[in-house]
Parts: sequence; structure tokens; C-alpha cells
Amino acid sequence: MTEIAPRSGPGAYFDGLTSALHEVTVELAPDGLVIRDAAGELIDRWPYMDLKSFNAPPQMLRIGLRNSDRLARLEIEDQDVADAIDLACPDIDRSGASERAERHRAIVWSFAAACSLVAVVVYGIPAVADRLVPVVPPIFEHRLSKTADERIRAAFDKGMAGRPFECGDGPGEAAGKAAFEKLVRVITAGADFHQPLRSVVLRRQEANAVTLPGHLYVLGGLIEQANNVDEVAGVIAHELGHLANRDGVRALLKGGGLSLVLGSLLGDFVGGSAVIFASETLLKLSYSRQREAEADYYAVRTMQALKADPRAFATFMERAAGSGTRRSIFMGHPPMPDRVARINAIAPPQSGGATLLDADEWKALKGICAGYR
Amino acid sequence: MRPVRFAGTDREFGRILLHGAALLIVTLGLYRFWLNTDIRRYLWANTQIEGRPLEYSGTAIELLHGFLVAFTLIVPVYVVYFVAALNLSGYSRPLTFAAIATLVLLSQYGIYLARRYRMTRTVYRGLRFHQSGSAIHYSILASCWWSLTVLTLGLAYPYARAATERFKLRNTWYGDLPGRFDASAWPLFIRLVPMWLAVIIPALSTLLLLTPARWNALAVALRAPGEIVMRTSKVGSDFTDVGMPVILLGLITLTLAACLLPAFHAVVLRWRISAIRLDGIAAHSHLQTRDLYGAYLRFAGGALIWLVSVLVAAYAAFTLRDLVFDGAPSKMAEITQVVMVAGFFIVSAFGVTTLYRMFVRLAVWRHATNSLGLAGDTSVLLHVRMQGAAGSPLGEGIADMLNVGGL
Repeated sequence: MTEIAPRSGPGAYFDGLTSALHEVTVELAPDGLVIRDAAGELIDRWPYMDLKSFNAPPQMLRIGLRNSDRLARLEIEDQDVADAIDLACPDIDRSGASERAERHRAIVWSFAAACSLVAVVVYGIPAVADRLVPVVPPIFEHRLSKTADERIRAAFDKGMAGRPFECGDGPGEAAGKAAFEKLVRVITAGADFHQPLRSVVLRRQEANAVTLPGHLYVLGGLIEQANNVDEVAGVIAHELGHLANRDGVRALLKGGGLSLVLGSLLGDFVGGSAVIFASETLLKLSYSRQREAEADYYAVRTMQALKADPRAFATFMERAAGSGTRRSIFMGHPPMPDRVARINAIAPPQSGGATLLDADEWKALKGICAGYR
Repeated sequence: MRPVRFAGTDREFGRILLHGAALLIVTLGLYRFWLNTDIRRYLWANTQIEGRPLEYSGTAIELLHGFLVAFTLIVPVYVVYFVAALNLSGYSRPLTFAAIATLVLLSQYGIYLARRYRMTRTVYRGLRFHQSGSAIHYSILASCWWSLTVLTLGLAYPYARAATERFKLRNTWYGDLPGRFDASAWPLFIRLVPMWLAVIIPALSTLLLLTPARWNALAVALRAPGEIVMRTSKVGSDFTDVGMPVILLGLITLTLAACLLPAFHAVVLRWRISAIRLDGIAAHSHLQTRDLYGAYLRFAGGALIWLVSVLVAAYAAFTLRDLVFDGAPSKMAEITQVVMVAGFFIVSAFGVTTLYRMFVRLAVWRHATNSLGLAGDTSVLLHVRMQGAAGSPLGEGIADMLNVGGL
């Protein structure tokens, strides 16, 4: 068997103590590299097991010792010697295959991390938010709602000269106001609702109701378009459901938690803002549909407790929404036919026969915004 | 031979970027630590000083660790900021201010520490660079100067830059060779004032024209039904009178700013590089402004072509989607729509960033290094002694989280 002469070739050596360049000869001995200076004096021996390659330009092999606090480097541009070293050292792979394998592992772990991030966001944040809701003291909600109250009034109040924005304060509207307040008292009693509440009817034509912690706003159009008191009562009960479930705080925690987690973790990732926006939109809407369903259940239970018609408000909403409702997951509420169907499924037809307001009170309520026609 | 030169090919860099962009999407951005490491390795290894190439000895895992630690430190500050912003108590205003101030200080702290990390991971002829000095001092210094810059609408910029560069370079070392920053702000100020005036005058005029208008009334008018111009004119002649001039002035401001940006970049870079000293060696920059214009124009052209292509592809995709779902609305159709919109946005954003890195960042690096001359006794570089220890990647993590990262 022929002995293959040990390879040797020129190299540039830096000892890591000074920046001086040493022109050296590198010899491949059986167990390591032998580094000799220009005069043939031994500079150092580097065992193959301890060698590691470092960042270098394409045609250069730059090696050093692992676990050394000195940054001693040997730079080899002779390709034969470089290939021989590559073969001899388990950790040096000039083809880059082992580095690619390691990189692939990193990518797989990152992908898994990204997936678990998505899972946390979709399931974890709502769960944590739901846990935290009871912990948030009511005083926070009331602070929030005070600012929001000012904004709602600014948004809704067209400032029509001379007319009080709240119905019930105009000429001949006092009886209506009394009827409305009685209705709200009856409903809150039936629902066992104890949060402090200020309820008003706003002089607007839209058929809607809005709640904030401590405030209930019924828009005039709701009363005008309702056929009977149960329809109005059902809508009010639904809104009380949102307050009872503290949906405002819940939404704030979920939305805030989402922005926080996604915004921090995605970092400098430029498309991250698109991911955040898309996921926020999708998730917020699925959260809110759930919350609307909960508020519907609350309304049905309340109406049953009052022995009034639990299906009335479903009928009203169907009528008020009209037939052209776009079925879209982008609506905060579930599509009307689905919602009505669900309500009718859980609500038996009226068994009680209670009248929440008598005929005179109902007539007065109907006229609550009639002071200015 | 040039004392400093860059030998990297566009092709190699392009490969790194494209590969990286694809993996960034798949890993929702978590791959960025590997991509940034790859970019630095490419740039450092292809940069030669006096014939010997640099080495970047940092790893992606270090960056990931830095990020994780920074994450745990910064999230509480974000939470405080979020809660404070809800305006829930009398303390909210001071709390918001405190949270913002903390984030600003933290950013500068992170920048200084990140620079230390990068310096200590730069190896030349077997010795590392390093950075001394207190990151806290720097963060206070820099935060004050940048706040002043904002308050003076940018006039203080040359002074802020001089102060921060001076601090950084005074604390920069190659082995036992100390660095210095030898330039004053005044020459830079003189050169930048015309550019500043060219942008600030139309910008301020736009703002001045807008102030007398009645914003509240406009907001109410916009909520009413009717055609938008009619509605606006009903509010008063305030808006229609200023409408056209405002839009025009706004466009002029933006166009001027965009046209002057390459020149601004070149002037500041030349000034900054020509001030760098390492013991007896002085750097000076022959960077040509026209090279930077070339780079930015190539980027603008590339970005335009890219965005148009994405729009065409998006149009085709949405038409296809409509055909598939046949107009019948369904949950699946809605979800596909959202995902497609987000997807196209991400793809276009990625294309633009990649093009920017390719045509601007790389070009600037190449031109700056190739036009760098070294004066003085460069032979000292051959006899430097080792000094300094490696810095932690925490700064990189902070800079990443607060989006003040560099390369």
C-alpha cells in the first residue's frame, strides 16, 4: 500500500494575541495540523477534533480552535490543502451540507414555534382574557364609559336647535319618559341586574340600542318601529346581557392582548402588520359573534323570567333589518336569519302572558320622542 | 490596490435574500435571526482591509437568545403603556409619558449594546474590535439629542449626529488601538441647510394653510349623506379653497423629500466616514453622490415593477376566486378573501424590502467601502495587540423588539 505523502501547503496564520500575519506552512499530520513558520520552527499543533471553520470569503478556508479565548486563525487559500482539511475534520464541511441540515432543523423549529404562536393567539388569548375579566374592577369600566359617553353624544347629537337631545325632556314627553324608566326597572329586576345604570332615549331615527358600562342608550327609531312592548324589552334585555357579561372589558383585553403578543413577536417582519391586521379582523369578529349569541341567551332567559314573549325581539330585528341583509362574517352580528333561528330554537313561544306596560303606558312610551315632529 | 474593498457578488447576495424572504414567510418572521446573520457574514467576509478579509463571528442562536431576554424585559413596559393609554386614572398622562420615555431610552440603550455586539463579533487579523463605555450614558445622551432634533424640526440633526458618533467612536477599539471621531457638526449643518429649507418650507406651508379650517364641522359634514365635495363646500369655503393648494403643497413636499433623500444620505455618510480615526490612521470617503442616486433609482424602478406585477397577479387571483365561489357568499369565500388580501400585502411588502436591501443597502455598502481611503501610518494595523471581551446580544434583542435594528 502506497503511503500518501502528508499534504502541506502555505497559509496565513494569526495568533490572536497580536494582529501580525505569519506566513506559515501547514502540514496535515495523522491527528492534526502542524503549523510551522517560514524558518521551519514549530508554531503550534491543532488537533482535527478541535478545528472549526469560520466565516470567510468564498475561496478561503478560515479555521480556528473551538473553545479558545484567543481568536487564533489560519487562513488557507490553497484548494488542495483546504479539501484535505475538510476531509480530515469531522466538523468542517466546505460543501455546507451539515450547516444546511442544522439550518433546516432551525427552520422546522421556527415553523413549529410560529404554529404554536397561532394556537396561543386563537385559543390562549380569549381564555386568559375571560379569566381576567372578573379581576378588572368595575371602576375601570366606568372611567372608560365616561369618555365614551361624551364621544357617543358628540357622534349622535346633530345639535338641532332648541331640541333636547334626550327624548322625554321635550313638551308632552314626560309620560313617555316615566313609562320608559318603569320598563327598564322591570327588566333589570327580572334579569337580576344590579349594575348602576343610566338609561336614556336618544332623539334619532335609527332602530337600535347601544350600551356602555353604566349607560343604556335606546335610539328613538327602535320605539317607533316596535309593534309591542315585548319587542322593545327584548332588545333592552339583550343590551343588558352585554353589560352583565362585561363584554366591553372582554373585548379590550382580547384586542389588546392580541396586538401585544403579535406585535412583539413578529418584530421587524415587514408583512407582520398585514398578518396582525388580518388576524385581528378575523378573530375580533368571531369573538364578537360569540358575545352576541351570549347576549341573545341572556335576553331570552330574562324575557322568560318576566313571563313575556322571548321571541319578540327576534321578530323585531328580522323586520328592522329588512330582507337584503348581506350574509357576511364581517358583520359584528351573526347574519340575521341564523340569529333569529337560534333564538327561536332556544326560546319557547310565550307561556306567560305578562304585560310589561299597560296600554296607557305603552301609548305614552310610543310618544316619548313625539314632542318635536 | 485600494486599502478597503468589497468583493461580494450581487448574485450571492440575491440568493441569500430570496431564500430568506421565502423562509421569513413560512416562519412568520422567526427566521430573521438566521437571515440577518447570513447577511452580515456575507458583507463582512467580502470586505477586505489592506488585503485581509473581515470575519463575522456572531451566530443566529445568539440573536435569538438576545431577543428572548429582551422580550421578557420589554413586554411589561408595553403593558403599562397600553393600560395607561386607556386613560383610566388621574395617573394616566404621567404614566403614558413615563412609558414612552422608557421606550425611547431603552431603544438607544439597545442600539449602543447592539453596536457593541456587532463590534465584538467583528474579527480582523485574529483580533476583535470592541466597544467600551456605558450604554446608560449613551442612551441618555442620545435620547436628549434626538428629542432636541424633533423639537427643532430637524435643525439639530448634525449636532445630534456629531455628539452620538463622537461618543461611539471614542469608545471603539481595534485591539488596543483607540478610535476617534474627528469632525464638527458645522460643515454638515451648512451642507444640509439648503435641503432642509427645500423640504420644510412646503411642509410648514401645508400645515399653516390647514390650521384655520374647522375640523370638527368637516367631520360632521362627512358623516351626512351626499356627495363629498358638495358636503365639504357646505361646511364653508375654508376647505374647498385650501383643498387644491394643500394637496399640491403636500405632493411637492413629498417629491422634494424623495428626490433629496439620496443626496442627504450621501452627504451624511461621507461626513461620517471621513471623520473616523483609529489611532494614527485616518479614513476619508470619496463616495460619489451620483452612485447613491443610481442605487435609489434602481430600487424605485424595481419596486414599481414589482408592485405592478403584484397588482396584476392579485387581480387575476381575485377574479379566479370569484369564479370558484360563483358569487355565492359563504364563510369559506370570506376567509379566502381576507387571507388573499393579507397574503398579497405581505408578498408586496417583502418584495419591496428585499429590493431595498439588494439595491440600496448592498450598493451603499459596496460604494462606501470601495471609496474608503486610509491615510496615515497603516502599518500600525500589523502590530495591534488583543484587547476586549465579547459583548452580549441583549442589545440586538432590544433593537429588534423596538424596531430600531440596523442591518
